[in-house]
Amino acid sequence: MRPAENINELIKKLKLKASADLDRRVHDDISMAPAESDKAKSAFTQPNIGRTIMKSPIVKLAAAAVIIVLVVLGLFEFIGTEKTSGVVWADVVRKVGASRGLIVRCSDSTASSEDDYSITYTSPTYCRKDFYKDGQIIRTGYTDFTGSDTYTLTDVFHMRKHSLTTTFKKSEYQFFLEWNNDWTNPEFLVQKILSCEHSKLGQKTIEGVLCEGIETTDPAYIGPLPGPVNNLQVEFRLWVSVETGYPVLYESKMSAEYEGEVWESENVTDQFQWDVELDPGIFEPNIPSDYERLTWPEVKEL
Amino acid sequence: MLEDKLLILKFNRGNREALRSIYEKYKNDLVTLAAALLNDVSSAEDVVHDVFVGFIESSRKFRLTGSLKGYLATCVANNARNRNKAGRRHQNVEASVVMPDANRPDAAAMFGEELRQLGWALEQLPYEQREVLLLHSYSGMKFKAIAQQQKISINTVQGRYRYAVDKLRSMLNGEVKK
Repeated sequence: MRPAENINELIKKLKLKASADLDRRVHDDISMAPAESDKAKSAFTQPNIGRTIMKSPIVKLAAAAVIIVLVVLGLFEFIGTEKTSGVVWADVVRKVGASRGLIVRCSDSTASSEDDYSITYTSPTYCRKDFYKDGQIIRTGYTDFTGSDTYTLTDVFHMRKHSLTTTFKKSEYQFFLEWNNDWTNPEFLVQKILSCEHSKLGQKTIEGVLCEGIETTDPAYIGPLPGPVNNLQVEFRLWVSVETGYPVLYESKMSAEYEGEVWESENVTDQFQWDVELDPGIFEPNIPSDYERLTWPEVKEL
Repeated sequence: MLEDKLLILKFNRGNREALRSIYEKYKNDLVTLAAALLNDVSSAEDVVHDVFVGFIESSRKFRLTGSLKGYLATCVANNARNRNKAGRRHQNVEASVVMPDANRPDAAAMFGEELRQLGWALEQLPYEQREVLLLHSYSGMKFKAIAQQQKISINTVQGRYRYAVDKLRSMLNGEVKK
């Protein structure tokens, strides 16, 4: 007899495979679906993925959230940090810029989020993210920044037992970073917070660490959006250790209405381990032999 | 999420490979969900086929506002619910020719011997409770998202989930005799 607590785990074990007949039916239907029209192709001869995606204000918001988290998580390392804007915040920029490696947890409580939290390992040239649901790893994402003109993303889906590798041209992947160059500049980021309506949160002890925090709820923090978004509300809080000058906790919350739909994002980033030496081996995609390997090389045509 | 957003971007432009990737990525989960809802693998595959036919037709106008997995799971649940209702109407009209559950050996056993008891227990749940339980526990949808999709209150969703879990517990712990 199964213990009651195992019901959810049991349900997750349910697994059927789509039959070859269903595969054939769906793939036949897909083959008959209208393909990309010549007109569409000519309109996108050398399309820019960033510009295309960023036409959506919501995606732009999402990208902003990602960018902000990335900046806080370690992209400082790619960027100069000559000037600073305040005592504690100057330390943040300097310390983060000098960090060799970072381990951090990010919890996304957005309703549509597939995972409960992720653990990110970041070095200047690689990134690995382990995504967890109910304490079980469900996906591992590896990003390789070492290519001269490409980024390579490899996602390993443990529940579905397959991996998907995607190669992005750096020139076409800039939507991740290019929306506004200033968002990748920590000096700008800190100054932006300070230049928006903001409040210093004073000092607080977070998990035994005395921290100093800053908060902004000013929508101007997000910057100009390309389309109409209603009821944009933001909350960003960054807590930094007074002793070490490293971020300890970053909280972001955003909501907006776009075309009648409410879009919400809520993240907590914590458990920072700064300046750690990471074993390069953890960034090698580990794909078990029984996993199906899929590649998606044609991103260029976007 | 980024992967799904890019797939949808390509899908919106009519890219067939994006559609194939979406299907390959989610097909097994969707068939499993539909089968657990309908207790029938053949009908489950028809549901997933129907969902993808509709999905293909929506390519130009489809907009992803939440998770793609949640969206597809909701489509499967809606389609399965309609089939379930139609099936019940059919049973009422032609009750004499409907086989009793005991004569459908594949229903509980379709998930294999290890999960046969769970399959049987799921089958005993009222449809609405089974639906919420599977959308939450199997497809990973939050209660809030289920409530929004089904246009019912979150309290109703949570209530159905609690009842479903309690009943499953009872059945799997042997408190309710088969």
